Amino acid sequence: MIDMVIRHDGRNWVVEKGDLRLASPTLDGIDAEVREFVKRECLVKNGQKTEVRMLFDNSTIPQWIRQYAQHYFNRVLVVEG
Amino acid sequence: MADLTNRKWYTGMLTQEDWWAVWLGVGFFFLGLLNLAGIDVVGFLTYPTKWVANVPEGGKGAIGHAFYAIGKKTSITAKGFYSGLGWWSIIWTYVAFTIATCIGAAFMRWNLKRFFIGWTIIYFMTIATWFIGHHGFIAANKINMHKYGLNFALSLGGGGSFILALIVGLIIGNFFKPFAIYLSEAAKPEWYIKTAVVTLGVKLGYLPIKLAGFSHKLGKQATSLTFELFVAGAAATIVAYMIFWPIVYLISRRLFKLPRKTAAVLGSGISICGVSAAVATGGAVRAKPVVSIMVSALVVVWAVIELMILPGFFTHVWPKTADPIVAGAAMGMSVKTDGADAAAGELLDEFMRNKVAVESNGTVQWPEGIITASAVMTKVWIDMFIGIWTFVLAMVWVYRIDRRPGETVLVSEVWHRFPKFVLGYFFCWFFLLAIYFGPGQGGAPEAMPYLKTVKAGAVPVEGPMRKLFFMLTFMSLGIITDFKKLREAQFGKMVWVYFVALFVFIIPIAMIIAYLFHHGMQLPNIAEFVK
Repeated sequence: MIDMVIRHDGRNWVVEKGDLRLASPTLDGIDAEVREFVKRECLVKNGQKTEVRMLFDNSTIPQWIRQYAQHYFNRVLVVEG
Repeated sequence: MADLTNRKWYTGMLTQEDWWAVWLGVGFFFLGLLNLAGIDVVGFLTYPTKWVANVPEGGKGAIGHAFYAIGKKTSITAKGFYSGLGWWSIIWTYVAFTIATCIGAAFMRWNLKRFFIGWTIIYFMTIATWFIGHHGFIAANKINMHKYGLNFALSLGGGGSFILALIVGLIIGNFFKPFAIYLSEAAKPEWYIKTAVVTLGVKLGYLPIKLAGFSHKLGKQATSLTFELFVAGAAATIVAYMIFWPIVYLISRRLFKLPRKTAAVLGSGISICGVSAAVATGGAVRAKPVVSIMVSALVVVWAVIELMILPGFFTHVWPKTADPIVAGAAMGMSVKTDGADAAAGELLDEFMRNKVAVESNGTVQWPEGIITASAVMTKVWIDMFIGIWTFVLAMVWVYRIDRRPGETVLVSEVWHRFPKFVLGYFFCWFFLLAIYFGPGQGGAPEAMPYLKTVKAGAVPVEGPMRKLFFMLTFMSLGIITDFKKLREAQFGKMVWVYFVALFVFIIPIAMIIAYLFHHGMQLPNIAEFVK
């Protein structure tokens, strides 16, 4: 499983891992960019699958709301080689 | 730095408010249980009594006794010491809770200096309003006002203090905004109320023990009432979900033409549980966070409006004192944040008990806290179901509506959205029930000495600590509530969706559902056992 961080900057969904930063206004767009990155970096072999877990960065949610709810979503994207 | 507190099932345990409500509540609960070993370290907790400036001859209400350490009444091993604390109990309580809350604030990575200063200001403002609210003119009623030399009293009981704290908070929040912003680091109504709810679990567990002290029969009645609340609350909640959510979703889509994701988030925010449901649903349907943020801002303001209106309505219009548990349960399904709901339940409890005592000329007196518990119990079930409901929504959205290739929904989302403070609530409740049925022998006379030591530890937590945290909640709610938000252009139609859905559908249907599942539940009458 590959862990990445996902957040929203008010305009785009942003996925980060180390120095990597991917951005897109839609989740479909982000998924496409993540797939491309995984395949380009050979993180999945042909014919196999790997899971990319996107952990939501809760600092996206304003501090005053976090006392009411401390989780937005985590999502998993299955990428096929 | 990214906040990934939901990476694993345990990663939020030291950094999330819900967990810190558990640590605070359960921590002090266990400190209280040290009484079983003969050590009383909670008797210092401060508590107010009614007072007047001029005490009549043979009367009561001396200002010197306006605050006392609860151990003066409950302690077995240190009564003499705690009796001498008087007003100094305020400082002892401040020190104890400052240490506890600052530890929590540090772990939650808040601005510790601002929290400490804000907490200190809020604490002493709360104590001041608690004091003023207990003046005989505000708190006494027709039955006891003569003891304070009064010919008239507002008969608000402890509710007067709550209202005063809310008013003071609202004045700060709406007219002294820079001050409110500074205090916001420590104005955390959800943290305080969740801690209070954990101590409410102590209350419910202690109730059979307390009433068994009056009579064995009353102890059994209290036990079965708490179980009835447990079951009826669950049933009412399920029905509420099935009816409320579709109605609000349809109103949003058909009447106000809002987009699907916005309608879903509004549906949850208005019909289920306010901010937590709005955020959970926003995440479930993968909405942009701004949608949940806007709905949340609306919810918080409307919840305080409900808090100001509903307790008085249920007490004096319907169902009045004929069906107090129905009123509490309706409150739990109507008021959309934990803080405002529990606060409203507490106000309702004060109003209803006062009213029935006055109406019956003192021949009917209800134990304190059961009506609050009925409001909280439905809310607790609603909170617990949020995770499951939003998991279902996520499945529908991910697999049927959006259908993005390769995306899966994690079952762990149910746990991440589960309200952890509920664990503390049930833990304390069932722990004390286990004591009652175990070594307490179901309240048998021979177990009374043992149960008295339990009482010495439980009462400071379920009484003074709970009340203090309710007071802090009222004050903090007021500070963070800005009514001008309702006029902001960005909310547009959402304000009216909220108003129509809440007052035309949710509240009336909540009243009907509460009636169906809670009508006829009787509160024990403890008049003959109470001075």
